[in-house]
Amino acid sequence: MGVRRLAVMAMLACSGIAVLAFVVAIGPSRASAQIRTYTPPKTAPPGADWTKRIEEILPPGVESRAQATERIASYKPDPVKYPVPRTAWDGKPDFSGVYWPDATVTPPPVPLESLYRPDAREYRERGGAAAGLIDWRGIDTPNYHCWPPSPVNGSMGGTVQLVSAPGYLLLLNEGGSNFRIIPIVGENGRQPIASRKPSFQGSSVGHWEGDTLVVDVTNFNGKPWLGNAQPPDRLPQTSSDAMHIVERWSRPDAQIFEYQVVVQDPKMLTAPWTGATERRGILPYDSVQESLCVLDPELDARHREFAAQQAKKKGAVR
Amino acid sequence: MSRRAMTVVAGIVVVGAALLAGLRVAVNDNRSTEASSFNAKTGWGEPNLTGVWKATPLGADSGRDTFNLTKLEGLYTSEARERMKALSANDDPTLRCTPPLFPRAAMLGQPVQIVQRPGFAYVLTEAYPVFRIIPTTGRPHTAPQYLFPTQMGDSTARWEGDTLVVDVISFNGEGWLASPHDKPRNASTGIWLTSDALHIVERWRRIDADTLEYQARVEDPKTLTMPWETPTVTFKRQAVDRIEDVLCRPEDGPDTYLARLGS
Repeated sequence: MGVRRLAVMAMLACSGIAVLAFVVAIGPSRASAQIRTYTPPKTAPPGADWTKRIEEILPPGVESRAQATERIASYKPDPVKYPVPRTAWDGKPDFSGVYWPDATVTPPPVPLESLYRPDAREYRERGGAAAGLIDWRGIDTPNYHCWPPSPVNGSMGGTVQLVSAPGYLLLLNEGGSNFRIIPIVGENGRQPIASRKPSFQGSSVGHWEGDTLVVDVTNFNGKPWLGNAQPPDRLPQTSSDAMHIVERWSRPDAQIFEYQVVVQDPKMLTAPWTGATERRGILPYDSVQESLCVLDPELDARHREFAAQQAKKKGAVR
Repeated sequence: MSRRAMTVVAGIVVVGAALLAGLRVAVNDNRSTEASSFNAKTGWGEPNLTGVWKATPLGADSGRDTFNLTKLEGLYTSEARERMKALSANDDPTLRCTPPLFPRAAMLGQPVQIVQRPGFAYVLTEAYPVFRIIPTTGRPHTAPQYLFPTQMGDSTARWEGDTLVVDVISFNGEGWLASPHDKPRNASTGIWLTSDALHIVERWRRIDADTLEYQARVEDPKTLTMPWETPTVTFKRQAVDRIEDVLCRPEDGPDTYLARLGS
């Protein structure tokens, strides 16, 4: 198990793509402490597409990620054939379901990067409020530290479960077992309780505009990154504690939900940024599974050592 | 003290007492209003456990045992004791921010939120944030071919009157039943192993608008000679609409983390 974890982490590092290092904890993790000598695992060449490697091992008949994305992107919602499910308590769209394949319906009108304030450069160089925690030119990203996924994606990772309940929308991520609780202001104007600590996922308050759930998110701790760095050129797309996000959640029919975000952050951005309209397709399950994200400090130390060796080697070749 | 001064003092006392009495009535009135507006059932007729709940921290330390851990300690098999010899407090999985399983999570004294929709209850924890998905229709556990071992186990539940009885299996054997700080005796090791044979039956029941009770029966034939019963944990309703969002970071260590949560 310990070796497998190492292999996964090293592969993720080498593949250079930001994938959450989800460790499904099977078997005693103490096994990780039993690794005595460290041998770098066999990995894909740098730059290899990790998702492709997963697809290679998919059983026959299972849709690959690319196929699922294609299907969802070209899907035409049909609320007559697949009526929007509605809750028994308020008649609003019921988002409940497990969703996986995602596709972009409308790309962002302008790239996020184009709106970053020039004077935010120094803050971004340091990794933002994550200064000292994340070395963005190195191996680690917020994902690596098991932080929640980017708020630009509503903190949604891979497979996500939405739960509509009276007064709430819950978001349960399979990856990392991370969750968000979104209280919904009712017709009677029940106000959510505001005195909360600033956090990675902020404080959410939802209200209905017709059949669209509009969620205001404020009270962020300044640590989330909206997008990862692309060393050596692109700095991390940091956020500040002044960030204010407005999300729009809708359910065009029973097969999908759609999500769109507008990000305001006067300390980082020169103007509000409108994100892509994203869509996700429903899966025939009623529960996501547990998949904890665990950053083992010992493994982390070994990983850093390995990355340093690799960096040294690269230098030698040049 | 002159007679006049005494009269004034007495007057203040009387007025004060009257004010206090008035306040008291007002407080009681509020309570009774709250109690009458409390919905014992959800809109679809299941007992209503929803809310944010918090209990007093429980455990065992310096001769004081509030979680029946003295009993648990005595139930470990000799094989389990052998395994414990190789372990120390540093092997406590919460050190790596792995969420503690219930009932240990119920001992922490940290907020727990319950959300319900028809046929499901969701238990979310503030400390070591994780969610549990609990079907409440009495359906069978996840089919064996899809079942794999996890930290929090696979839950399914049924209502026995107002009590939600949750059956939990398919644990990964990593979780501990208590913290290394819990040492009912001076000679205690503070190691509270489980195995993948762990089977827990929990009973969640709301007894009034502001009180939720929790109790668990723990069976683990690979480590315990007989089942262990936790005492009843009394959770009190918190006047918030959701738990806080405080990530655990392994570099903090559990003590710093729990302190950060409470602050």
